[in-house]
This record gives sequence, structure tokens and C-alpha cells, in this order.
Amino acid sequence: MRPLTPSRVVWVCAALAGALFVMVVIALRLGAYPISARDIVMTLFDGVMGRRDRIPSDFWLVVFGLRLPRIALGILVGAALSTAGAGFQALLRNPLADPYVLGIASGAALGSMLSLMLAPQVPGATQVAAFIGAAATTAVVYFLGRRGGQLDSATLLLAGIITASFLSAAIMFLETMLSGRDQRGMAFWLLGDLTAPPSVGLRWLYLVLIVVVGCIYTTAADLNLILTGEQEARHLGVHVNRVKLVVYLGASLLTGLAVSVGGAIGYVGLLVPHVMRMLFGTDYRLLIPASALGGAIAILLADTLARTVVAPTELPVGAMTALAGAPVFIYLMRRRVR
Amino acid sequence: MTDEVGRSISVPAEVRRIVTLAPDLTETVYALGLENRLAGDTDYCDTPPAAKAKPHVGTTINPSLEAIVSLHPDLVLATTSINRRETVESLAQLGIAVYTSNPHTVRGMLDSIRRMADAMGAPSDGEALSAHLQQRLDALATRLKDQPPAHVLFVVWTDPLISIGQNTFIADALRWAGAESVILSKQNWPRVSLEEVARLQPEYIVVVEDATRPGGEEADLQARPQWKQIRAVETGHVVPIDDQMERPSPGLIDAIETLARELHPEAFAGGNASADSSAVAARRGRKVMLCAL
Amino acid sequence: MSASGGGPAVASLASGRGKDDAPPRLKVEQASYAYAATGRMAPSFTLGPVSFEAQQCETVAILGPNASGKSTLLRLLSGTNRPLSGRIELDGAEISALDAKARAQRVALVQQESELLFPLRVWEYVLQGRHPYGRRLRFETEEDCLLAGNALEQVGADSLRQRWMDQLSGGEKQRVILARALAQQPALLLLDEPTQHLDIGGKVELLRRLRSLARENRYAVLIVTHELDLAAEFSDRVVLLHKGKCLCVGTPAEVYERELLEQVFEAPLEVEMRPSGRPRVMLREER
Repeated sequence: MRPLTPSRVVWVCAALAGALFVMVVIALRLGAYPISARDIVMTLFDGVMGRRDRIPSDFWLVVFGLRLPRIALGILVGAALSTAGAGFQALLRNPLADPYVLGIASGAALGSMLSLMLAPQVPGATQVAAFIGAAATTAVVYFLGRRGGQLDSATLLLAGIITASFLSAAIMFLETMLSGRDQRGMAFWLLGDLTAPPSVGLRWLYLVLIVVVGCIYTTAADLNLILTGEQEARHLGVHVNRVKLVVYLGASLLTGLAVSVGGAIGYVGLLVPHVMRMLFGTDYRLLIPASALGGAIAILLADTLARTVVAPTELPVGAMTALAGAPVFIYLMRRRVR
Repeated sequence: MTDEVGRSISVPAEVRRIVTLAPDLTETVYALGLENRLAGDTDYCDTPPAAKAKPHVGTTINPSLEAIVSLHPDLVLATTSINRRETVESLAQLGIAVYTSNPHTVRGMLDSIRRMADAMGAPSDGEALSAHLQQRLDALATRLKDQPPAHVLFVVWTDPLISIGQNTFIADALRWAGAESVILSKQNWPRVSLEEVARLQPEYIVVVEDATRPGGEEADLQARPQWKQIRAVETGHVVPIDDQMERPSPGLIDAIETLARELHPEAFAGGNASADSSAVAARRGRKVMLCAL
Repeated sequence: MSASGGGPAVASLASGRGKDDAPPRLKVEQASYAYAATGRMAPSFTLGPVSFEAQQCETVAILGPNASGKSTLLRLLSGTNRPLSGRIELDGAEISALDAKARAQRVALVQQESELLFPLRVWEYVLQGRHPYGRRLRFETEEDCLLAGNALEQVGADSLRQRWMDQLSGGEKQRVILARALAQQPALLLLDEPTQHLDIGGKVELLRRLRSLARENRYAVLIVTHELDLAAEFSDRVVLLHKGKCLCVGTPAEVYERELLEQVFEAPLEVEMRPSGRPRVMLREER
């Protein structure tokens, strides 16, 4: 028997980080603007050294203004969604759970819709409103999802589905009141969009990501036990209710964050944890960091494909994840029938 | 300067390279005679046909920002009727000047043309074009001044039936053509039930022409059993119109004139085929369908 | 798990507490509990007061028909619920007063297993029994692996190590669950109707094993059951419950009195004393 050791976790994460690095390099290199690898490296180097004046303004725009922010946002969103997905799958005791099953994306969509209707001129308001919508949905589902004062997986799932349906209905109703331009914007947002600059600085978002993933990680060993049975976990000394609350809040926060800045990109939160399980096992002490890194890789891959496959036309990244996700999903389902 | 959505933009003194993000904007640039400054447009810009040969930056909803940057534009033209807010904001963040037009009425469109020409550094061309179009509109208004407006239903989509609201651009264009939409709605694209149409019994149904099946619109509607209760369909008062009608571009004026002729032929009887109408047919090179009345 | 120098170090699964036989390992004193007891409503079910003791190396059967309060007593013993009155002490410490981890190091509960969501190997499952002994974000140590391995050996499931949990038979699964409990190195081993899904051979094997484990590892083993004959044969002491009341505590020979049993189990019974000193229970023929 080979139990999970810290060094195995480190090695796997290093390998995944390496793959992520390769993906970043590819994403930097590809794009509609013709710029050679050498020029990219020079631009990066000069940029990092603070010698901005030596870089042609176009190169600066493309590398630092367009590609790097998009890559950074993609990594953030991918890591957040995948970690949240892994968390929800454990919390809800359901392998089909994804970050949106509890209605958080619908809440965010409603929030941004309301902000478009009420305060269209304020830049960045839609993202903040989306996050507030997500947070509000989290709170509502929490209170609906309790049983005997504690979070109950089955009740939570039901509460989430009902809330999501209700919010979707509200969205459909309000959609008719939006102007044409906003309707288009909304429809596009629902498919995921990594081009919009986040209204809060990216570094703060990354800070939140790392802190929250860290918090969820502290419950990783407990989650392993909870997955073999809640009562059993209690009798082995796990504070089940506390763990569930931490995971619920953490995963919801990550989802709200990802959706506010990137729209509702689907399939990543559902599939990346499963793929990581197939590759590295079901132990959450490895699964959580692996999902985060794997999600970042997946989103980068999807986004890069989306903007290069039929250049200069850009496909929405959510369409790409769906196209790739569906066959992967089918493959996974067939494998489970052992 | 300030554009039509209230954003203040700083346009370089010399605008040599322009990128347009919507077909009607491309058309306007060509109409202003500034096409040699047009560095790029979208995949959908096909009027006039020469626009198809220009470098493309992608779709109107999600153009490739990198492609736009690679064209080094001094000015990018966008419009609220087609482009997304986020595209404009992203471009602004990159330091590229974006002028967003926001026409709600036909007159507003003429104003828009003037202001856009101004932004592009060709105010005299803008004045000339705008004045010319205004003149045509005024001439039309004179012809139609004694005519009661025709009651029409403007069909945007048949399944489900979607028409236009009172505040839309198209409603205003209809008014200039001597027509009035029977649908009184504050929504921009209201869904209407056939019963409501049957109750209102408009004199004419105006449908956007299907370029792939010219002449088929009337037969199409007549083939639908529920539409038989609409008198206009039964009597064949179905007017196909070019899709120029839906776009705030110079070609709109052509469409308005064409529609006015269909609905009020009496106002145009008496010879005096204006040089404009033949120029219209010639310039666009399309067949204008006249329906049997 | 390398052997260095002499023989392999075999870590002991014994609880190693309480060398004397005099102070009882488990002491239940007038423990009682009631469900749904609010200020206004009368409780829907009351248990107690119950009193008994269990020594280390002893096997105690908690016997009674359905709805007699066995499960409730089990919840009190495992620390899930706090007794409304009275005390339940394990080696002198009040069970419900312990924090979850400390309790998990002393009390192990063997129940029917919940459905597993994701595939898990047997050794991974058993290794989870070591969770109470770790720090916050713990990874298992060599010692943990050793102990888990020993646990599997002790239940005779060593060959099952690499198998997947969801591919085990009922009896095999039962043994693995038991192994996980043993890996906890408890002082008190609780089992809830462990013979439910086993055939007679399986039942006998399990109970024999439990008795020998109790002796070897110095556990106090408590088995909740309604199986009269098995309890008679395999337990050192019996606690007889009926409708929430503790009717009798003693050796099987002392407790198994025909009229009492008939009243409790509501069935015509015969009790026969055998030479071994253990009673045998049979259905009485209707004449």
C-alpha cells in the first residue's frame, strides 16, 4: 500500500505547473496579431525590466495589454471553477455536481442584468453586481438548504436547483426589458468571456483565490472521510458540519468570483475534477491542487483554441469548453461502467 | 470630443486608418467617399460588395482585439445597435479611440453621419451627404403630405411573430415612408399574437425580403393557414422590403423611398420619375419587388 | 515498512490502558435519554435509566427486541448524544465531554457502511481509521500504515488489501469495516447489529473473532443485537432492554429467564441450561 505522501503531492503539482507553463507559452505565442516568439520574449524581458520605452507600442499592447491579461484571467477562472467543482462534488455527494448547480451563475447573471438596467453608465458595475448576485444566491440557498440547522447534502441540492430555476425564470422575464445591445452582451456573457478587464485588480483576485483554495485545502483530509459516510466521519473525529460550511462558503465564493469576471463558462468545473481523479486518484489532498492547476490548463487551452481556430473570428470560450467537454463527459461516463 | 453614448474620446488630428465594427458603419464610410481610409471591417460587411475585400477583424459581437490592433487604427467606429459595450471598453483600455454611434431616429442617423464624418476629419463630406439625404427625405415628405399614413404591420420574424416597438429606429423610418406601425408597444421587439393582428387588421404587411427566395414572401404567408384571417394577406397586401430598412445607414433612405412608392403609388403618379429612384436601382443592383395591389 | 535488524516491529493494536482488572473500563451510571423532549411536548421515546459496567477484554451484548432503545443507548455510548441524566465513563473520562478527536481515539463504532461515491481501495479505507491521530493536514505515517496492515491481518482480510471496496462481498466488507475500527486503537469497540446480513457461518465467525480480539487487544466490546442465541453463546455479560427500560444485567445464565424473555420478546420460548454454563433458547412447541 502506498499512501499519499507530501512529496507525491508536490511532484504532481510541479508536473501540472510545468504543463501550465507550457500552455502559457503557447497562448502567448498564438494570436491574430503576427508577432514572433523572439519579439515576445524581448517584449516580456524589457517590460519586466521596466524599459517600456524600448518596446514598440503595438507589441506592448498585444503582449501586456491583450494576451497576458487574458491568460492571467483564464488561469484564475479555470482554477477557481475547478476547485469549486471538486468541492461541490464532495459537499453534495454527487459526482454530477458542477459549480453552477446551486444557482450561483444565475444569481450572478441576474445581478449583472439588474445593473445594466439600473446603472448602465457606471463602468465595472456589472461585475460587482454579478458578484453580489452570486453572494445573495449563496445566502438564500444556504438558508433553504439546511435541515435541523445544519447543511444537508440532499436538501442543499434541491434548494439549489429550485433557486436556479427561479432565477432563470426571472432572467428570462427581465431579458425582454433589456436594450438590444445589452441583450447581446448578456447572451455573450452567459457563454463566457475572458476579454473584459476585471473591475477589481487582478492581483486582489489572485489573493482571494489563493486564500480560499487554501482554506478549502485544510479540509481535504476531512473530505476524504466524509466521502465514505458522514456518520462514520463524525465517529472518526471529523467536525462534519464545520467542514461542510467551510467548503460551501469557499466553493461558492470561488464560483461567484469566476463568474463575475469571466461569465458562466461551463463544463470545466464538472469535468476537470473527474479527469484529475482518473489520473491521480480520489484523495482530496492531491485532488484540490491538481484540479486548480488542471482547470487553469483547460481554460487556457479552450481560450487559445477559441481565438485561433477560425481567426480572426473569435468563438466564445464557453462554446469551446462545451464542444470539447461533451465528448470527454461521454468518455468518462463509459469508463465508470467497469 | 464626445461620442453619442456620452463617452469623451480623443481623436488624433489626422485620421488615416479607420476600422468599422458594423455593416451600416462600413456603408456610411463608403457613402462618405472615405473608403480608402478604411483599414478593416467585420466579416458581415458586404454593402457595398467592395467592402468584402477589406481585411476582416471578426464578428460584430466579438471582434478580435488583436486583429484590430494589428491594423493600427486611428479611429474605430462602433454602434450601440450591434456592438457590445465590453468591446468598446476593452479597446478604450488599450488606448484606441472608439466612436460609438447611437441613432434612434432617421434624423438622428443623419446627425450621426455628420458627427462621424467630423470625427474622421472630413466634415464637409459629412455635411454634403447628410444634406443630400435630408433633401431626399424632405422631398418625400412633401409628396406624402396629403396622404394619410398607411397602417402596417412590420414583421421582423414570423415564428414567433415579432414586430417593432414605437421607439425603434424602424418605426421612425416607417413614418418617413408614410406608414405607421399598428403595434403600440414600448418594448423594442415585442412578440405579438396573431389574434392581436387580426383585431388590428393592418392595411399592409411589411416583411423583410429573403434574399435567397426573392418573391416568395407573400406566398409564404398565404400558405400559413392562421394568417388567412389577416385581410392584408388574403388580398395580397404584402410588401417585401430590403433589409436596408433595418439598418441606420445611407441605404435606408433608398428603402424608405421604395416603401413609400409601394404604399402610396398615387403620390408618385404623374411621371417625374426622380433621378434618385433609378439611381437607387442602379446603384444597388437589386430587383425591387412590387407586389400586386 | 522495512524490517531493520531483528524481527519486524509489530505495532500493537491493543489499547494498552488499564492494566488492572479492577476498575471497569466502561461505566454506565443511571444514563437516560429522551427524544423530542421540549418544554411543552412529552418525549416520544425515553430510555433509561440504564446502569452497567464492562471490563476490558469483556464482550457485552446489548440485547432487546426492536424499539427497545438499543440504538439510543448506542448513540449515548458513542458520544453522539449526551445523556440527559447520569454518566457514561470510559476509563474514568465522561465520553460525551471528550472532544471529537479524543473520543475517536477511544471509541470505535462499527456500522453498516454508507454508499461510497468514488472508488476506494480497501487499504485506503482502513487507513482512514488513523485519522483521529493526525495533525490538521495530515499525511499518514509509516506507523499508520503498519497499524492499518495489522488491523487487516487481525480480521483475516489481509488478502483483500488491493481490492476495490465496491467489489467486496457482504462478509468481506464487514471485516474491512471492522479493520478500520481496529485501526483506531480504541478502548471501546461498539458494534451495531453486526450480524444482520451474514449467514450463520458468517455470524459465528464474526462473533468468535470479536471475542478473541477483545481478549488480545484488551478492548471492551459491546454488541447491540436482538439475536438471543448468539448473545447467549458469545457474550460475557448481557444488558437486557425492553421498551426503553433496562430490565436486567448479568451473565447470560443469570439474565436468560424464560418468563422474562417471553415477556420481552413476545414469543413462546424455552430456555435450557447447557453443561458449559451457557443457556440455549428455543421456540417452544405449541401443544
